[in-house]
Amino acid sequence: MKLKKFGAGVLAMAMAASMMVGCGETAPATTEAPAETPATEAPATTEATTEAAATEEAPAAEAKSIEATEITFWHAMNGNLETVLTQITDEFNANNEYGIKVTLVNQGAYGDLQTKLQASAAADALPDLAQAYNNWLTPYIDKVVKLDDFVATDFDNWDDIVSAYRDECSEFGFIHAVPYNKSTYVLFYNKTMFDELGIEVPQTWADVEAAAKTVMDSKNIAFIGYDDLAGAVEASLHQNGSDYVDATGALFNDEKGLETCEYLSNLYNNGYARLVGEDGYFSNVLSNQMIASYIGSSAGVSYIKAEGWDLGVAPIPGNVAKAANMAGTNIVMFSQDSNKQLAAWEYLKYITSTDAVVEWAVGTGYLPIRTSAYETDAYKAYMDENVCAKACYEQSKDFFFSPTFDASNDIRSTVPSTVEQLVYDKADAQKWLDTIVEAINAQY
Amino acid sequence: MDKKSAKGYLYLLPSMIIMICFTIYPLIRAIVMSFLGDYSIINGSYKSIGFDNYKALFADPDFAMSLKNTTIYVVCVVPVSIMLSLIIAVLINSCKKTKALFQTIYFLPYVTSVIAIGIVWRWMFNSNYGLINFMLGLIGIEPIQWLNLPQYAMPALIIFAIWKSMAFNILIFLAGLQTIPEDLYRAARIDSTPKFRVFTKITVPQLAPMIVYSSVIGMIGAFKVYNEVFSLFQGKAGPANKAMTIVYYIYDKFYNSYKYGVAAAGSVVLFIIILIFTRVQLRVTGGNKK
Amino acid sequence: MNNKRNIGNIIGTVLKFAVLILGSVFTILPFVWMISSSLKTPSELVAIPPALFPETPQWVNYKEAWAAAPFARYFVNTLIVTLCTTCGVLVTTVLSAFAFSRLNFPGKKTVFSLFLATLMIPGEMLIITNYETIIKLKWIDSYKAMIVPWISSAFYIYLLTRFFMQVPESLYLAAKVDKCSDFKYMIKIMVPMNKSAIFSIAILNIISSWNAFLWPLLVTNSQEMRVLSNGLVRFQTEAGSSTELIMAASCMLVMPIIIIYLFLRKYIIEGVTRSGLKG
Repeated sequence: MKLKKFGAGVLAMAMAASMMVGCGETAPATTEAPAETPATEAPATTEATTEAAATEEAPAAEAKSIEATEITFWHAMNGNLETVLTQITDEFNANNEYGIKVTLVNQGAYGDLQTKLQASAAADALPDLAQAYNNWLTPYIDKVVKLDDFVATDFDNWDDIVSAYRDECSEFGFIHAVPYNKSTYVLFYNKTMFDELGIEVPQTWADVEAAAKTVMDSKNIAFIGYDDLAGAVEASLHQNGSDYVDATGALFNDEKGLETCEYLSNLYNNGYARLVGEDGYFSNVLSNQMIASYIGSSAGVSYIKAEGWDLGVAPIPGNVAKAANMAGTNIVMFSQDSNKQLAAWEYLKYITSTDAVVEWAVGTGYLPIRTSAYETDAYKAYMDENVCAKACYEQSKDFFFSPTFDASNDIRSTVPSTVEQLVYDKADAQKWLDTIVEAINAQY
Repeated sequence: MDKKSAKGYLYLLPSMIIMICFTIYPLIRAIVMSFLGDYSIINGSYKSIGFDNYKALFADPDFAMSLKNTTIYVVCVVPVSIMLSLIIAVLINSCKKTKALFQTIYFLPYVTSVIAIGIVWRWMFNSNYGLINFMLGLIGIEPIQWLNLPQYAMPALIIFAIWKSMAFNILIFLAGLQTIPEDLYRAARIDSTPKFRVFTKITVPQLAPMIVYSSVIGMIGAFKVYNEVFSLFQGKAGPANKAMTIVYYIYDKFYNSYKYGVAAAGSVVLFIIILIFTRVQLRVTGGNKK
Repeated sequence: MNNKRNIGNIIGTVLKFAVLILGSVFTILPFVWMISSSLKTPSELVAIPPALFPETPQWVNYKEAWAAAPFARYFVNTLIVTLCTTCGVLVTTVLSAFAFSRLNFPGKKTVFSLFLATLMIPGEMLIITNYETIIKLKWIDSYKAMIVPWISSAFYIYLLTRFFMQVPESLYLAAKVDKCSDFKYMIKIMVPMNKSAIFSIAILNIISSWNAFLWPLLVTNSQEMRVLSNGLVRFQTEAGSSTELIMAASCMLVMPIIIIYLFLRKYIIEGVTRSGLKG
């Protein structure tokens, strides 16, 4: 009986839908006029002639023959980040010889962009380009354009891209993305407090424990905290020479894993480390001098308000090895049309060129994705001024990324709450190891 | 179909079209999805048909916890909110000059977006620089780690939710109070009936339809709590996930884990739970008779 | 005796106002906190102990928040979407509530239960399917996409049906004797008699569509089509958020709706006093 009603409902719905399709107009194609064209070093001559050149003469276009087209690029860059991205994109729009126009579409925060990409993949309405983390892509990886050919035939020097980024962007067996807004986890510390207590910046786990004891004895506050607990577990395992997870399960149910858990559980059980809790990010806690240091994304440096004390930034401490989490998204291409693909690739080439990368990195604090960008005078000058950039650069050889597979999203969401519970329970190292391994393996 | 019944459906037509397109159709799809193992929303592929998703759901300790939390939430928020709102509404209604002022003030919580006001509450709950602990401190109560300790996660959420939900109830009750014939009160005044008796014998029975409405709507809303959790705990489900609710669980499975079938099964289970509770509630309160 | 009752009355009044004022403080505090936070510096926000008011109001927060997105355009869009949705809701709600409360037709109870049942579905589950529908209809980036799915609400239909049922059946029968058509009866008697309920529904709906966040973000792409609440996320990143700017933006989001509420509230009270006459 219920089914019959539902059936009738579906029928009515279909009718109604077809009715509405009939009178529905197509959405107005809105063109976004760039609010301001910033003055840059772009040569004035090309700026004036690009539009004409693309359609009439276009000498270079003959070789490649890209027709003038519009490319949409969905991003989640807000505030100053968006300003800089708009600036770089405007430069491309004004200067490219093919009349390509890239339209930036702000899709809110990362979470919103993730949801929207997912919905659009289901509705077959993906944009030409979008920022994305690898783990967002698993359900619709076959809709991502393989970039191997573009890289092989039409990219100046792929090896110039920082190798960890290259690895991350070819994680699925082909080049699926171009790295863009990359950051890394660094150690932010209260330099004034360190100096006052005579603490050196910790290089190893042992240093951390010693420094933490000093801070605890004299100030009675925690020494260290992690904005990202899952990332902390993963990085610590790597630092101890152990693996984390792969597509088959947890890989650290051994002596090395236990050592890692011992380190972490001791930190928490002695009060040397604390959870971020209500503050969400440790930037507030550090600003308030209620913790001596924390490990978090370099992109968060602007949220630290160092008033009455000096901020220090350092590579994160290691143990038998060094390992630092990478963060930030890459740009993936979805366009199916070959002309649009070529056009989108032109844009990607432009924004990943050394000059544009430097402009982006200096403007936003994200890390340059190219080795050559680190060598430029502009970025060197920036690093001299900026302690955070310098620390990031120092650890760029130790980058690792979190692997993506079917269960990886569940692991990412289950590990933080598991660790939190262990901290509340003041569990010992063995309990840490068993619980985390069990929680991870339950996700497969 | 005769003319008379056609007329009934004609009046219903506009809302039915919208509802069928944007509620019933997606609902059917969700129900179908819940029976498909490893369903992909992207290309519609699936690996099995059956109860796999439901099995996975009930085997997941997180889902069990979300069920428990949601039940606690509903049982605490709805009755408390309705009782407080009823008292406040009657008190406001008995004011003369200040009625409009109080009405405006008490409705304010409904006006804001949960997202925005949730951020405010998060700051108010902060154990160090939050207003709530500061005020508790004034009356000699030690600071409470509202958002830091698992055991306070639900209480904090419930306080926030009661604050938020009272506004709607007060509005409904105030509107309902206007429909009570003045004669009833006049008669009571002549008999000099005590105020409490007037409240229980006249006001509450007369407001019964509004109370049933508020409790049904409130309960349905409470079962679906999500935004409150999301905004109070910065997109997480509280310390060690101790404020995980059913919809939070569903959302996480759908949008973060891409377990579409499991998420759909979760929403079907939630749907059935709400359905049962509403039935029981309507039967108990007799609200179905009309 | 009389005296005693007077004293009782006074104590009752004092008690009443004590409760109401205490409740008001509890109700209003988060708003005060929101406004004061929007005028603080980042370090004042995390000051211990908390300061209720900033030392010098940082009006620059508003300037900065306003500049972060085309809020003026957002405002216009929000207004359009809110007004259209609310008008649509009122029409469908009045029609449906009338059908459920006064007309008799086969399957009425079932349809009513079905309507009620739609309330129980977590909306988060429906979003992707609805998004696909909007894409198929080619409504992306249009006002229609933000308005049409929301112009019918079981929630309000249920509410108004309850109010309509309160109106004595005898009035309807009398009107029938007078050969008054159903539609005329609905417009001339039912609607005016339930003015305050209808205004309440209008307000509830204005607020919910004003604050709608995820759906408008999903179905629009261009800045020209976005709404106010979408501006809130401008101040959040994966590594932190500028609370003082979020608070400033929240105030900008909330103030218009409070003004609309204050304006409509006058009509609610008016409607209430008139409908109090009971026809």
